[in-house]
Amino acid sequence: MLGSTMNTTALVAYSLTKEYNATPVVQEVSFNLNFSEVLGLLGPNGAGKTTIVGMLYGGVAPDRGFVKLGDIQVQSDGRTARAKMGIVTQEDNLDPDFSVFENLLHFAHHYHLTGKTARKRVGELLEQVNLEAHGQKRIDELSGGMKRRLVLARALINRPHVVFLDEPTTGLDPDARQEFWKLVIDLKQRGCGVLLTTHYMDEAQRLCDRLLLLQQGQVIDQGTPLELIDRTIGKEVVEIEGVDEARLQALATQFNSWCRPFGSGYLLALPPAPTPLWDDLVATEPQRLTRRHANLEDVFLRLTGKVLE
Amino acid sequence: MKRLVATPWGVYSVWHRHAKVYQRTWLVNFLPPVTEPIMYLIAFGFGLSPLVGDVIYAGQPVSYLRFIAPAMIAIGVLFQSFFEGGYASFIRLNFQKTWQALLTAPLSFTEVFLGDWFWAATKGMIAGTLTGLVAVIWGLYSPLNLLLSLPLMLLGSLLFGAMGLLTAGSVRQIDQINIPIFLLIIPMFTLCGTYFPRETLPPFLQTIATVLPLSSLIDLLRWNLGLPSYWWLQFLWLVTLMLIFVSLAIRKIYPQLIK
Repeated sequence: MLGSTMNTTALVAYSLTKEYNATPVVQEVSFNLNFSEVLGLLGPNGAGKTTIVGMLYGGVAPDRGFVKLGDIQVQSDGRTARAKMGIVTQEDNLDPDFSVFENLLHFAHHYHLTGKTARKRVGELLEQVNLEAHGQKRIDELSGGMKRRLVLARALINRPHVVFLDEPTTGLDPDARQEFWKLVIDLKQRGCGVLLTTHYMDEAQRLCDRLLLLQQGQVIDQGTPLELIDRTIGKEVVEIEGVDEARLQALATQFNSWCRPFGSGYLLALPPAPTPLWDDLVATEPQRLTRRHANLEDVFLRLTGKVLE
Repeated sequence: MKRLVATPWGVYSVWHRHAKVYQRTWLVNFLPPVTEPIMYLIAFGFGLSPLVGDVIYAGQPVSYLRFIAPAMIAIGVLFQSFFEGGYASFIRLNFQKTWQALLTAPLSFTEVFLGDWFWAATKGMIAGTLTGLVAVIWGLYSPLNLLLSLPLMLLGSLLFGAMGLLTAGSVRQIDQINIPIFLLIIPMFTLCGTYFPRETLPPFLQTIATVLPLSSLIDLLRWNLGLPSYWWLQFLWLVTLMLIFVSLAIRKIYPQLIK
């Protein structure tokens, strides 16, 4: 919708770099966020995801680099930029003294929305995030998922073109996560560029059109989830337990594959079928042997040697 | 630090948010602190008047109640603006994360800061004015005196609100707010010519008390009873302190929000 009538790039982040006490937290991170797209920043805790989001809206001042939203440079005019952004921070900073409805109503005031116009908009937003039946509730009466949806609604007051979601489903139960995901897909379909940070592999895989994989503040790889899996792992992996590592490493080398410690066992990539590696692994008589489709977690393990927390 | 950007709407919008919270919870927030200086006025006024009789102020005998009435206005201003700027802003900054939420809206740091500061000052004005009205009804302060004192009360509210914000920006734990309360607020409350003329203090204490800003505010609010010859210095002192405290408060709070 928006993407077809305007330039497809909603936001450009260029060479973002940030240090705290001489420790680099984000290093030379650049990317574009397009309209009608969900871009994911995937990485473990401490990878710099929240710092990057902070730099996107002006909550963190980069040491180097800049962010542009259309013609607006966020670092010099964050106020104007934020009028066109929707920001969902990690913490639920709702007003506990206000009802659900009032939270949105008084926040709308900051966007010059008052009176009837504001009330109408608040009604629309509550409907959009499925909270229309809860307008009069107090904040402490809401479930975690409802609070997150309310923070999202608050971010959407001004019909933003880009929305940042910083770990929006952390701590939510599976149903609440599913419900939140629907809202994210809805935003994308409305033409929004959505940037989402997560350390949930399934969330990244299901929601994101493109991913930046982050480790220690650096982008270690990027692409669509499928591209990343295909390029880094292939189609299938094997989880194996109860076999000596040296033996597995030898097999991996022989079949031009790789092997990494994984949980209480090891993970091996299976070369494209038909592969004798599988038969050889079966022949080792392991305690446990599982063959499954490769996923983003495997990508991360391969690239960093670490499992996503 | 980036250049300071503020629009009247942005500042008003933040102030409006605080006012709406206050409106919601006013019975809880409003009665105890506002009645406090009024209670002092009544208790000390009735309790001590028979013992003290008249006080000599600016070379003139003044009834004890007329003497303490302007001081009680100043105390209302002090307590309300300092506690709003210190305690309530600390909660908004560290527990409720209201400042952080506001900074996801199209508001600048300056707007959020000024909105908070002006709200703290507003609370000082509410307390000062209500105490003043009681004094007026009691016949201790004329309505015209009160009206003309409003700008002075505003100056005091802004000064003590800025002191509160500096506290909110400096302390790490909520208990630490007690430090400025015991080192500064309570000494001011008791020593700055509130309940007795400062001349009765030993010279050393008298000097300290005179430097503390509440003394200047009280002396200026007693303008109807007579002004010290150095009143303009006191006025400048309040303005200077206000500017110092507010710039220190900005320096303390800004890095907590824009990292």
